[in-house]
Amino acid sequence: MKKRLLVLEDGTVFKGYGFGSSKETIGEVVFNTGMTGYQESITDQSYNGQLLTFTFPLIGNAGINRDDYESIFPTTRAVIVKEFARRPSNWRSQMNLDEFLKEKDIPGLTGVDTRRLTRVIREHGAMKAILTDDTRSIEEITYQLSQAELPTNQVEQVSTTRPYVSPQNGRKVVVVDYGLKHSILHELNKRECHVTVLPHDTKAETILNLRPDGVMLTNGPGDPKDLLYAHEMVRELQKHIPIFGICLGHQLIALANGAETYKMDFGHRGFNHPVREIATGKIDFTSQNHGYAVSEASVNKETLMITHIEINDDTVEGLRHRQHPVFSVQYHPDAAPGPHDGAGLFDQFIELMDAWKVETKDA
Amino acid sequence: MQKLSKVEVVNEAAIERALTRITYEIIEKNKGVDNLVLAGIKTRGVFLAHRIAKRIKQLEGESIDVLELDVSFYRDDREGEKNEQTAPLTDTARIKGKKVVIIDDVLYTGRTIRAALDAIIDLGRPDKIFLAVLIDRGNRELPIRADFVGKNIPTSREESIQVSLKETDDADQVTIVKVN
Repeated sequence: MKKRLLVLEDGTVFKGYGFGSSKETIGEVVFNTGMTGYQESITDQSYNGQLLTFTFPLIGNAGINRDDYESIFPTTRAVIVKEFARRPSNWRSQMNLDEFLKEKDIPGLTGVDTRRLTRVIREHGAMKAILTDDTRSIEEITYQLSQAELPTNQVEQVSTTRPYVSPQNGRKVVVVDYGLKHSILHELNKRECHVTVLPHDTKAETILNLRPDGVMLTNGPGDPKDLLYAHEMVRELQKHIPIFGICLGHQLIALANGAETYKMDFGHRGFNHPVREIATGKIDFTSQNHGYAVSEASVNKETLMITHIEINDDTVEGLRHRQHPVFSVQYHPDAAPGPHDGAGLFDQFIELMDAWKVETKDA
Repeated sequence: MQKLSKVEVVNEAAIERALTRITYEIIEKNKGVDNLVLAGIKTRGVFLAHRIAKRIKQLEGESIDVLELDVSFYRDDREGEKNEQTAPLTDTARIKGKKVVIIDDVLYTGRTIRAALDAIIDLGRPDKIFLAVLIDRGNRELPIRADFVGKNIPTSREESIQVSLKETDDADQVTIVKVN
């Protein structure tokens, strides 16, 4: 295997071996603490533009199967592992991780201490990093890295450009795609929702003209503050229709209602994040993937109610609007991959749509 | 021989979810929890009222007064049984000028709720009265409707709805019982 370098913004160098595609790549380096579900994570569009590190030491031992794609064209910039399994063993496996990354043109790095890398990220916060086979001096590589600008139009890159439907008999739900995971469609279809997926820049009016029962705002990559048009859309939409936001959708609902978001030091990426539902005191273990969060102090308590918090660092994990039928969570109730504790939130969305329908019929 | 068929229609998680949603809606509709009083109708309505009060406490940090209403004295279908001992509550101050949310497990003919309205108004003049129920099973005989509904389950008169709560029964669940 060819030698390959990972150089961080602060000059830290990790030497390892390349696999997957051999292209050079630059992006924000992040870590995921999940022990399973690498296929779902790699194909999760929320990792757009990021170099994804797995803290779990062996990745790829169940291969890649045809069931667990969260997107068809993943845009994760690179995959960094301690060791990847060259020979997977699982009845569903179609290919190994190396073949998969080659096919999707994603470079990989193996043979590095990903837990040390994680500690570095935890200490310094999220950093730019470069993955390269180049033999130039480290100074030159660091200089190139410092000059590189990370893209800000990430949602535009991953959202669908044309509307499509995921048909099912039942309630009509519009999903606004900011980088959706297939499992969200799966969960909605399973609960008898006919889903229409629309591009990220769809106007509120267009959505309302479809007369849906509810609207779901999906997860997605990047800084939610960049999506001014989406804040506008949510502000208009929430007056008329039930909305459920996940991840980026949650941040957009917060921003649309006057709250602020900030970039976290190293984010929440993994499947073991405990979240407390404040009303019941019940704790769910949740699947999370976010580098931005809603600032608690900025939440206007007259408009929004904080319904969920993360236990380790008190991050705002759930919100509900006090005047409109709108609620959101920062974590992933679709749990692909991850624990299924949050699946009830989809039922909550269904119940909200049904209740709202009865209410508006009465009025 | 008569055979009973029992079907679970709402499970524990869904009951919890419904109560949480009702809690949110009560807070939203009242724009806060000022002057709020929960009035649970005995037996299971009281337990539900306490569960909702606990949620409100955790969300808004305020303890809400929970009344326990025994409405049997006011019922219209128990002429012979009327008995002064069941006449409840004499504490007028808990009602006067308050926003009262009547809480019960099942809303059916509406007669229990009418009795509860009488019981409350006998006590004092509240500012407003709301009604929250876990299950609305339809078949009303009086012009009464709920402001907060956990779940609508349209049923026929031949069926009966059974709500079990952990406080008195084995588990949290709602079943439809039908005599075949």
